[in-house]
Amino acid sequence: MKKELLFSGIGGQGIMNLGEILCAAAIKAGYNVTFSPVYGAEKRGGRTMCNIVMSTEIECQIVSEADVMLIMDEASLADYQHLAGEQGVLILSAQVESTPDSPCKNIKTVPFIEKAMELGNAKVANMIALGFVLKYLDFIPYTSVENLVKETFASKAKLIPLNLEALKTGYEYEA
Amino acid sequence: MGEKVFMQGNMAMAESAIRAGCKLFFGYPITPSSEVAEYFAKAMFNRPEEEITFIQAETEVSAFNMIAGAVAAGHRAMTATSGPGFSLGQEAMSYMSCADLPAVVLDIMRPGPGDGDIMAGQSDYYQLTRGGGHGDYRNLILAPYTVEEGCRLMQEAFVLAEKYHNPVVVASDGNLAKLRESVELPGRLEVPAPESQYNVLSGFDPAEREKHVYLTGMNGVAEVIMINERLQKKFKAIEENEVRYERYNCEDADIVLVAYGSLARVCISAMKLARAEGIKVGLVRPITLWPYPEKAFADLNGKKFLCCELSAGQMIDDVKLSVENKHDVYLFSRWGSILPSPKEVLADIRKLNEVK
Repeated sequence: MKKELLFSGIGGQGIMNLGEILCAAAIKAGYNVTFSPVYGAEKRGGRTMCNIVMSTEIECQIVSEADVMLIMDEASLADYQHLAGEQGVLILSAQVESTPDSPCKNIKTVPFIEKAMELGNAKVANMIALGFVLKYLDFIPYTSVENLVKETFASKAKLIPLNLEALKTGYEYEA
Repeated sequence: MGEKVFMQGNMAMAESAIRAGCKLFFGYPITPSSEVAEYFAKAMFNRPEEEITFIQAETEVSAFNMIAGAVAAGHRAMTATSGPGFSLGQEAMSYMSCADLPAVVLDIMRPGPGDGDIMAGQSDYYQLTRGGGHGDYRNLILAPYTVEEGCRLMQEAFVLAEKYHNPVVVASDGNLAKLRESVELPGRLEVPAPESQYNVLSGFDPAEREKHVYLTGMNGVAEVIMINERLQKKFKAIEENEVRYERYNCEDADIVLVAYGSLARVCISAMKLARAEGIKVGLVRPITLWPYPEKAFADLNGKKFLCCELSAGQMIDDVKLSVENKHDVYLFSRWGSILPSPKEVLADIRKLNEVK
């Protein structure tokens, strides 16, 4: 088994955090995991992208045909859509306006930011995205991700319920 | 075995070196190796019980000579660097080889020549496997393909360096260095560090050792002959005992890929894609670049070979020597920086499959 994931957005959107939680959950589930982060040179608002490969055996560590691609901004779509696999899923934030031109025709558009604002905090958009991505990774138990979200926010315990709610919102969202 | 962690290649290998009992790190920062130096520097302050000393030298020339002094005095010491820094260290590498000093170097390869680029490359192959500095000498070269193997080889580098009294280089690259991967960290190395006296070393045969080091100042025909004969005896022993490699699906293969380091992983995935469409592909993955695993090719008669490298083709010379020019050896060459995808390798495999 091999799953290639590519998540890309802008610094501050929590892309790396999302990727790290998924990696930790996949490791707990017994998979080999590689994580290659790419950061833009900008101090704020630069590109944050991560390549993740989850596999049962040692495999190629770079993404060339993503099974799951999550795109949070316009520029990331232009740069990476050619790497979305034909059999994969391309998940777009509703803020991305242009029409994709990708080998992947299974496109899901999700209003991550709007949904987060409905929950009262735009910052949990990444947790909604994490929940939505998780729908396509059935080998990672949902409860395991829940526990990791709790661990991630252990030092800010009052934020845990909101983040868990956001995770659930994404997981249950139909697009 | 140790615990499972999710760690960056450079940092995991630095931790493994510390657990191997390496207490001295001398270096000069250079991308993509700098996290190794940073890790030792932090460990010096945050883990006083480890008694680590980190020195940022003014240049790699100094750092490599500091290693010479430290290992001559019986300590485990290392540096980590990349192409341009490794070049600056070559004078010391030659002298350390001549003096049988068990230095350990981590070379994070990036594309060259000159400044090149700061990402993954394999263009140091000639420099690594042919000596690099002046004189008739060889370094033992270990090339990992995962972070976990890198951690094991990092520790083994110290064991082999001390066993043969010879410099050992672990050849990583810009991809493996920056990759974060699930890895079972090795525990503490059980082999004690050499006695803290003059370590030393004319020869890896303990019976021949003397308690002094000649780093410079040897002159005269007799001495040059003696040293070279001693070194060649040692290199022969390394060639006989320390060849390492892995083979995948070679027995029934029509096409055998040859690749090492992070590119070997791309080739593993390419091999699977090719097999899925009915092309019988295998892979030879050298782990020691010197001594080269010639014997991995001994029974592969009648096959086509595709040597895959992040260089213009350097290892291909060793593949041709290994098959004694009896078989066709083809090249898949990329300059590095960005790793090719398995599909790019597959495209070459398909073409090769059509060649009669």
